[in-house]
Amino acid sequence: MKFIAFHLMPYRELPADFEVTYPSVWVTPPKKLFDPKKGHRMYHDYLDELEFAVDLGFDAIGVNEHHSNAYGMMPSPNLMGSILSRKVRRSDKTSLIVLGNSLASYNPPIRVAEEMAMLDVLTGGKFIAGFPVGTSMDQNYAYGINPAELRERYYEAHDLIMKTWKSDDILTYNGKYNQFRYINPWPRPAQRPHPPVWIPGGGSVETYDFSIHHNYSFSYLSYFGHKYAKKVMGPFWDRNDELGADRNPYKAGYCQIICLSETDERAQIDYEEHVRYFFNKCLHVDRRVAEAPGYRTVKSLRAGLTSQFDGTQKSASQMLKDGMGWQDLIDHGFIVAGSPATVREIMRESLQDMRVGNVVCLFHIGSMPHWLVQKNMQMFAEEVMPQLRSLFSEWDHSHYWPKGYAEDAKQEAATSG
Amino acid sequence: MAQPKELLIQANENVSFAVKVAGQGEPVVYLHGAGGLAWDPFLEGLSHHYQVFAPHLPGTGRSSGLENIRDLWDLILCHYDLFDRLGLDAATVIGHSLGGMIGLELAATDQSRIKQLVAICPAGLFKEEEPVPDMFAMLPHELADLMVADSSSPAAEMLRYVPSTTEERIEATIQRMQNLQAAAKFLWPIPDKGLKHRIHRIKAPTLFIWGRQDRFMPVSYADDFCNRIPHAKLALIDQAAHLVTLEQTGQVLTAIQDFLHVTEAHQNMTGGFP
Repeated sequence: MKFIAFHLMPYRELPADFEVTYPSVWVTPPKKLFDPKKGHRMYHDYLDELEFAVDLGFDAIGVNEHHSNAYGMMPSPNLMGSILSRKVRRSDKTSLIVLGNSLASYNPPIRVAEEMAMLDVLTGGKFIAGFPVGTSMDQNYAYGINPAELRERYYEAHDLIMKTWKSDDILTYNGKYNQFRYINPWPRPAQRPHPPVWIPGGGSVETYDFSIHHNYSFSYLSYFGHKYAKKVMGPFWDRNDELGADRNPYKAGYCQIICLSETDERAQIDYEEHVRYFFNKCLHVDRRVAEAPGYRTVKSLRAGLTSQFDGTQKSASQMLKDGMGWQDLIDHGFIVAGSPATVREIMRESLQDMRVGNVVCLFHIGSMPHWLVQKNMQMFAEEVMPQLRSLFSEWDHSHYWPKGYAEDAKQEAATSG
Repeated sequence: MAQPKELLIQANENVSFAVKVAGQGEPVVYLHGAGGLAWDPFLEGLSHHYQVFAPHLPGTGRSSGLENIRDLWDLILCHYDLFDRLGLDAATVIGHSLGGMIGLELAATDQSRIKQLVAICPAGLFKEEEPVPDMFAMLPHELADLMVADSSSPAAEMLRYVPSTTEERIEATIQRMQNLQAAAKFLWPIPDKGLKHRIHRIKAPTLFIWGRQDRFMPVSYADDFCNRIPHAKLALIDQAAHLVTLEQTGQVLTAIQDFLHVTEAHQNMTGGFP
């Protein structure tokens, strides 16, 4: 079992009336609400938290990409990744995951091949490359990418990056959106032929097939926890079987909000305010900018509309709007919260049930202060992670995880030639 | 209202158009706006005087090949291909909104192919100081209200119509999204795809029709268009907004007939150009 300490780096001091006064945390949150002095403190707290996760022995630390977003202050995850790579290179346990670079946004896309290769070299071959299509809010509304072109641009950028990484030759490329006479990015990645690739997705069949076909690891990154994730992972494994692939749990991951305290009661006292901040403010997205026409394929759209219109499946966001108490959030799996024993039990059962070998843990939630994040992570690392570690140990994870240089190999690489 | 017949026409190896055809007389090509093509009282009225060819934009209705159209240039060329298949050497084009923009582009690109042009509150220009609203970031009812002068009118009622059964509702929503997706391909994120650099080339007699209460494409845009085509005429219609053809159908039809009649006679006398 592999555990990733993941950070969204939210702005944790949005005004109390934010969700009433302003239409959206994404695309249109007023910039005047951002205080650079507070932002300075937050960024450094968050980097400290991820560095602390390296000390605690997590398998990876992770960052991601959002734009015009008050709950995800990383327009460039590669910047944060490069800072963190200094710590990761000293670790013999922890890798760096950038989940990811939304490929269609990069012009030219070989920028991603270059920067991720830098991160792979900086970390000493302990880097995982995440390639999300990206949300409509980020890609279409904030970055202006035509929704009719987003997926095609993504696929073309992916092919271009992989071609670049897999070859030591100078290449040419004559694509629909990209044309190059000379593709020769320096440096090349430390891992040969390339770092492991993970695909974060929302559960469309196209994404399942893309991940399975390329033997990438698929991660379902919602904020709605294990019960919703199961609805996505079930069809993923069905599709995986249909395509005749093996059932290695490390080709699957999901995201979970985790709140650990000494007792179940104490967890509510410690975390409820911050969890509410997250669900009320950080997920306050204006419907007007939630999905550009063409962002979803007709097939995915039809599936979504069917469950929406015939009432067979209540969406997670609708459940939140209808009001959920602390215990509801736990019962519906949105959060895993409580004592170490409680968290262990819920996670063991859900991880086995979903058959996922990678769990993307959110230990910082909403407005949480630095000390509480440290407590949360430390309790998890000491009292949950060791007991769950052996899950799926009969499977080989190595295709989906970096190998990394040993310290002496790094030394040798530095001194030879 | 008589239903038109629908032809499926392979314009080229990449794109095929479903074209609604009705009426007798001089041929007129009608290019619909971002909301898609519906055979409405305006088109019915038009077909009483002309032979109307109304193609669905690729990616909408039964027209296909949107994914093969890389950019506006491809879109313009496949319209000329469609004209070829319809046997129209030079066509009279009437376009609404996005369709008006396509008509203007067609007229600016190959001057010989557009005989007369009627652009009804067309897209294609953009002013930062007076930006057109973002139709792709609006809820359906907000968009509907913005499009009409009187939100209690039958036209507004029609826009707000939601089918009663789940299946019909799903199909209607998907159709709406496909219309918007196709429109967004040529209007996202800002409906300025360079027309201002080409518009001076338009030689065809041109009539702009505008609803005086248009809040989507405000009337100040009409002035901008007219300033860039000195020979163009403008018909401002009262008690109408962006969906002027539905709100004041009779007045729009009269304005079009008068314009096509007069400019046709003029062209016959001068042998072509105004």
